[in-house]
Amino acid sequence: MAVRVEEIQVPRGRPRLADRVRGWLDREGILGPVFVTPALLLLLLLVAYPFLMALYFSLSNAFIGRPSQFIGIQNFVKLWESDAFRQTFQNAFVFTGIAVLFKVVLGIALALLLNQQLWFKRLIRGVVLLPWVIPTALSTLGWWWMFNSLYSVVNWTGIALGIMDPPGPNWLGQKHYAMAAVIAVNIWRGLPFFAITILAALVAIPRELYEAAEADGAGANARFWHITLPLLKPVLAVVVLFSTIFTFSDFNIVYVLTRGGPVNSTHLFATLSRVVGIDTGRIGEGAAISLYLFPILVFVVWAQLRFVRKQAY
Amino acid sequence: MHPVNRRQFLTTTGAGLAGILAARVPPARGQQREVSYLCWNNFAPASDKKLAEIGQRFTKDTGIKLKIDHISHMGPQQAKYASEVQTQAGHDLVEMRMHFPWLYEPQLVDVSDVVVELEKKYGKAISSSYEGAYVNGVWRAVPQYHGMFVATYREDLFKKASLKVPDTWEELYVVGKELKKMGNPVGIPISQNYDSISTAGPVLWSFGGMEVDKDGKTVKINSPATVQTIEWYKKMFKDCMEPEVLSWSDASNNESIQQGKAGWIHNPVSAYIVAKQRKLVTADGINHHRSLGGPSGRHETDTPRHIGIWKFSKNIEPGKEWIRYLLGKREVYDEYIMSGDAFNLPAYEKLQDHPVLKTDPKYAALRGEGVQYHTYGWPAPPSDKVQLITNSYILPNMLAKAVTGTSTKDSIAWAENEMKKILAG
Repeated sequence: MAVRVEEIQVPRGRPRLADRVRGWLDREGILGPVFVTPALLLLLLLVAYPFLMALYFSLSNAFIGRPSQFIGIQNFVKLWESDAFRQTFQNAFVFTGIAVLFKVVLGIALALLLNQQLWFKRLIRGVVLLPWVIPTALSTLGWWWMFNSLYSVVNWTGIALGIMDPPGPNWLGQKHYAMAAVIAVNIWRGLPFFAITILAALVAIPRELYEAAEADGAGANARFWHITLPLLKPVLAVVVLFSTIFTFSDFNIVYVLTRGGPVNSTHLFATLSRVVGIDTGRIGEGAAISLYLFPILVFVVWAQLRFVRKQAY
Repeated sequence: MHPVNRRQFLTTTGAGLAGILAARVPPARGQQREVSYLCWNNFAPASDKKLAEIGQRFTKDTGIKLKIDHISHMGPQQAKYASEVQTQAGHDLVEMRMHFPWLYEPQLVDVSDVVVELEKKYGKAISSSYEGAYVNGVWRAVPQYHGMFVATYREDLFKKASLKVPDTWEELYVVGKELKKMGNPVGIPISQNYDSISTAGPVLWSFGGMEVDKDGKTVKINSPATVQTIEWYKKMFKDCMEPEVLSWSDASNNESIQQGKAGWIHNPVSAYIVAKQRKLVTADGINHHRSLGGPSGRHETDTPRHIGIWKFSKNIEPGKEWIRYLLGKREVYDEYIMSGDAFNLPAYEKLQDHPVLKTDPKYAALRGEGVQYHTYGWPAPPSDKVQLITNSYILPNMLAKAVTGTSTKDSIAWAENEMKKILAG
């Protein structure tokens, strides 16, 4: 039976809820915030809230389980009077500077090696990532055994090879050796991150550039300095930025290997902050220690991101 | 029976739930009493098993469910306490060492009633328990047990070399030189751990020194006694020990004597207990003797343990019932102490000559007549600031500086300065 158009009943009044929701979601002004809100909430809960709490603690005389009072920047000023803090401040720069430098140099070397045509290339790339994948506390415990004065496999090997005099260096008991030990473990742990990231950048460099350079008579050194390194710079800047932040705030390696000793010579901000804030209950001072570098790190982030933008555009 | 329709079901359960939420009291059927207890991994592992067994019997006898959690006694324990206090949530009862009750005083329930009952039965709590848990005239935790630092030595090596068992720290230097020549050095840690303080304290006290005066306000580390202490450590480090002691953890001296290296260490009997349990070849050769003395007597670090109840707990009374069950029933307390194989010793005066000391002739030295037991920081009254001096490892750091080249005078000046800043802060 034929139905005339006039006979079709169009429902009047408010549209159904589902239709209204669909209508809202079609609007960019609503859809955008809807997508961003969950991430924003997570950030607020997991990053902003703890950060603001730490900021408040650092400006107070908070002691575990006791009422606290706002005392301004007294904690930050008082910290400079502490020998342990001044030592920690110096340690943090020595530790980070040396570790990041080695990670950059060795990371580039390892990436160049991995970029060659090797047998079992994929397997080797997977194995290289292992130090990065294993939980740090666990792998550092392994290193602790290797440096331990009673069981040190490092010393045993050195003595067996005739390059060390018995009983060998006291790795964790003398300040320079202890610092060398924590830096070595940090480099071992962080190297894969550098190598794999730089490798990704290396793979992206067009082959034609190398071919053209070779045709012009450029040797391997010239190709590295004038093609590879300039094109790696943006990636290197980001990797160094991340690594600097992570290395400054390292905790596990020092905590497991030396607990900051001997005589505070390997304490970093995070480990000293734990001793003061948790072991002795002075959360205010502990928070101030961990936030001390915040302004400097903000500047580092700003400067490096600016550099990356300049490189990109 | 009438079938219940959806509307009736929702109305009834909704009203019930609203009532429970409003009253904040669960219905009778859901009111099973329960307490949770956080304690550390005991150095005598059999003690933890016995605790679990006693806990099951407690539940059977009282109907109170008991949940026992264990945690490593060092770093993680402090972090756990801090997080529980800050969030006001977690366990009802916590095991505390040394003078931790001073740190958490405002958060701990007054348990004086329980301690008074126990003291009536077993005599006064020992002095180190008073130092640790009796805070400003109130018991903030119940003395549970204690374990003191004695001398643990390789008796077989001493006999082989005809060495005299030392009685003073100076005599230890004489035998220590011989032990080092034999390849079995003395093992006293000089690093950032508690065992270092547990030995440095008695040496300092035996020479007549102290960190802070009895008033708790005056730093007294700069004294001739400290000079003597440092000079003693310097010659011990050079002639009787190896540099490895600068990197030792709390477990290292135990491992060193167990593995056959160290000939003499200053430690509770745990090194021997573990060697015995693991049937190590060194176990038979290990023995103990009294801790050493000096010109100012024989002093010893004691490590009392106590059980505290957090104020935020909703199960304070069941918590006290558990403490009374574990410590207040003589047969249960004895059973618990015996399981610790002389590592856990009773914390009350009348129980000091406990049968556990007769289970092995090598525990004879633990009776330790004439030894004065103290917690860290003595003779200063325990306080959060004294705790901070302890936890900042100022004493072992001062010694480490001195034995590695800093002059005695400068090492003491450094320690004095650090301690003064803490007390002023």
